[in-house]
Amino acid sequence: MIGRPEGERGGDEGAGPGSAPPPASTDAPPPASRDEGAGHPAPPVFSLRAFVLVTLGLFGGVAAAPVAEIFFADRLGLPDAAATGLAAVAAFVLSALLGAVAAWAARRLCFYEIAAASLLWSAAVAGTVAFLPGMRAGSAALQSLEAQGTLVLVLGLLGAGFLSATAGFVGATLAYLAVGTGRFDPSLSYELFVARSHLKLDARTLVSLFGLVVTGLLPGLLALLVWSHVRDVRERRAYRRGELYRRARMPATLLMTLISIAGVALGVWALTVVLSVMSGFEADLKRKILGQTAHGMVLTYGQDDFTEWRSVRERVLAVPGVAGATPFLYNEVMLSSGQNLTGAILKGVDTATVGTVIDLPRNIEEGKLEWLERPAEIPLPARGADGAEPPAPGARALPGVVVGRELARQLRVFVGDQVNVVSPFGDLGPAGPQPKSRPFRVAAIFFSGMFEYDSKFAYLSLAEAQRFFATGDTVTGLELKVDDVDAARSVVGRVAFELGGWPFRGKDWGELNRSLFSALQMEKVVMAVILGFIVLVASFLILATLVMLVLEKTREIAVLKSMGAGVPSVMKVFVLEGLIIGAVGTAFGLILGLGSCVLVDKVGIPLDPEVYYISNLPVLIEPAQFALVALAAMVIAYVATIYPATKAARLRPVDGLRSE
Amino acid sequence: MASAPPFIRIEGLGKTYLMGDRRLEVLRGIDLEIARGEFVALTGPSGAGKSTFLHLLGTLDLPTRGRVLFDGEDVFERGEEELADFRNATVGFVFQSHHLLPEFTALENVMMPALIRRVARAEARRRAAEVLGLVGLSDRLDHRPGELSGGEQQRVALARALCLEPRLLLADEPTGNLDPATAEGIHALLGELNARLGITAVVVTHNERLAASLPRRLRLSRGRLE
Repeated sequence: MIGRPEGERGGDEGAGPGSAPPPASTDAPPPASRDEGAGHPAPPVFSLRAFVLVTLGLFGGVAAAPVAEIFFADRLGLPDAAATGLAAVAAFVLSALLGAVAAWAARRLCFYEIAAASLLWSAAVAGTVAFLPGMRAGSAALQSLEAQGTLVLVLGLLGAGFLSATAGFVGATLAYLAVGTGRFDPSLSYELFVARSHLKLDARTLVSLFGLVVTGLLPGLLALLVWSHVRDVRERRAYRRGELYRRARMPATLLMTLISIAGVALGVWALTVVLSVMSGFEADLKRKILGQTAHGMVLTYGQDDFTEWRSVRERVLAVPGVAGATPFLYNEVMLSSGQNLTGAILKGVDTATVGTVIDLPRNIEEGKLEWLERPAEIPLPARGADGAEPPAPGARALPGVVVGRELARQLRVFVGDQVNVVSPFGDLGPAGPQPKSRPFRVAAIFFSGMFEYDSKFAYLSLAEAQRFFATGDTVTGLELKVDDVDAARSVVGRVAFELGGWPFRGKDWGELNRSLFSALQMEKVVMAVILGFIVLVASFLILATLVMLVLEKTREIAVLKSMGAGVPSVMKVFVLEGLIIGAVGTAFGLILGLGSCVLVDKVGIPLDPEVYYISNLPVLIEPAQFALVALAAMVIAYVATIYPATKAARLRPVDGLRSE
Repeated sequence: MASAPPFIRIEGLGKTYLMGDRRLEVLRGIDLEIARGEFVALTGPSGAGKSTFLHLLGTLDLPTRGRVLFDGEDVFERGEEELADFRNATVGFVFQSHHLLPEFTALENVMMPALIRRVARAEARRRAAEVLGLVGLSDRLDHRPGELSGGEQQRVALARALCLEPRLLLADEPTGNLDPATAEGIHALLGELNARLGITAVVVTHNERLAASLPRRLRLSRGRLE
């Protein structure tokens, strides 16, 4: 819809098909069907050169993102989030640069060229999907997308193309604004001067607007109502007494401007708050997961026994970045107590070193972890048995087990109660393997805050577990704690390298919980897109406001043009106006978002811990996230200004001067 | 013909508007030469095409046919941006209803053409103040157009047109909305500027006295020069 402004008339020799007719001889009689200005060469509608450049930019940007991500993550060893961010920036810059070159070469906004390139991209996506099996082998990025389904693949590719095209458009328009006059002219001096006068924003108006948005509109609107009533009363009184009273009126465009600012502010506000809360949930989850499971693991391949774990542990601890290591034995079992039965994951842990890796010792609610090693100290249950089995005569001699709070609740056991552990892999009986069962006593109950763990995990001492499963002196692997959680991947990789590879392999927590965190990430992206629509709608407010301003200022634009203001110059005025609206709205939204987050963080919004397993609404204020929201809002606001700006710049001076 | 081309040479200039299905021929082929430093009065009845002619001369509009040559060069051969530069550097406009920007002070209005040319703010301010002094408004620099009288507004508009020392001044009924005494003052000012600065001026006017006092009078009627 965005039209092309008049570029250089007839100076575009490099244009391909659909380019300008040759400069018509000015003596020739005009074709009667043409309007004013007929007989003069119109600028070309389409520049092939620019099209090639923006297409390169679009495809290159999309292709560059995964390549750059691999480069940043694997070559430079940056954490995943940073690598993804940098890759996105690199791809955006590439597209924008090629767009800028296209605009500079053709001296036009390149809107049609970018639209055509986007269509080409869509066709390419369709082709890729139709012939996917052929393409799949070639690209790791495609494979990972395809793993999530065709819809995700199509939407992902189209979305990437759309972002790349947006980047190209931003680059092209910025370049056109800077060099559209034929020389490099990034100055904004008088444009800003004019733009500010159009918007008529002053500090008082902005402060009132901010108050209005902060108070959630209702109290603010009430105050406005009271104020306008007071003004009416004063005006009437002045009229009765025959005095003069001047009533301040708000121009319609100022009202529109304020509404647009409020719209942008609300969008940015909602986006930052929701994303911060989601980050809070994610961080909480991550903290709990990392509290109960290790940052990484060293395992052996296949069925190989891991017997030399003591020496391996020493070698692992020597690797820089490793903060702790502890052996563990992992098995899945059934737990029973009285009539209650549940499946559980049973881990044998080394009570001396487990605290250096996971938070288990700190999560103990009742009892003591050390009682695993000294079961004789476990107190006998104080109450009569309601559900739990009565302590057997030799109960004091039974080894201890640590269970989670939810697990204890399901089994209806307390510290000191007896629990039977049943393993499906038992001794060989007459009819094949028989389940093996052995009584333990609850030595302690832990609470990690993560339902998954509290209801599924039970711990034995390593020696007791080895005895129960009859494994001899072997372990499943070593659990690791690293200094920097976000660098876990590279540290674990280095550990595996130091151990000489096979039969050892490393896994980091991201890999261990991949599906959970990628689901969270997906949810966040979807949420950002949905809430981003608020900002998008707000950008339509900006567009409408600017169109109105252009209509109101037709005469002024004509006068500026008669004084020699060029197309890019007039465009700059209106682009600046939109950017000011966007910037003020974004600033308001960021302040509000930050304020709300701090408020939620400090005051706390209580949640039902039974449902959410978390006592307060978690909030994590991530500066990068705020910056990203602000950037997105500004880009959207900027793109919204282009159409009204070209409309303003294309006005013929005579039209504005004639309409009086 | 003299060896040097005339300042302005107009050849077969025509302008036709399309109003719905109806063709409206406003200018029907005008040939004219204007020498450097001339002060030309353009008169004619309403609807004769005076304003259109002036707009074409100032490149605010494109002709349907014909050429306008400045110093022997066809201006309409240029691209839009070059035309904007041309207007900025060469032409000064004074409109009937002053067309000052209401949100800006007199000084800022006069500065505007210089700012468009990217003259530094301080330099633009100095120059604007000087030109405002020239039209006798040194004491009205910080007034907005709404706070000025009609004559003062038109003098500010004149100052704005002169700010970048254009070679051609185009005035479209500059005194059409003014009382005779004020109009007289503006006319005297125009004459003085023409004489002192050597600016070529084309003034559209209904004022017979002004027209009579000028050395060269042109009369447009039904799109043709008489």
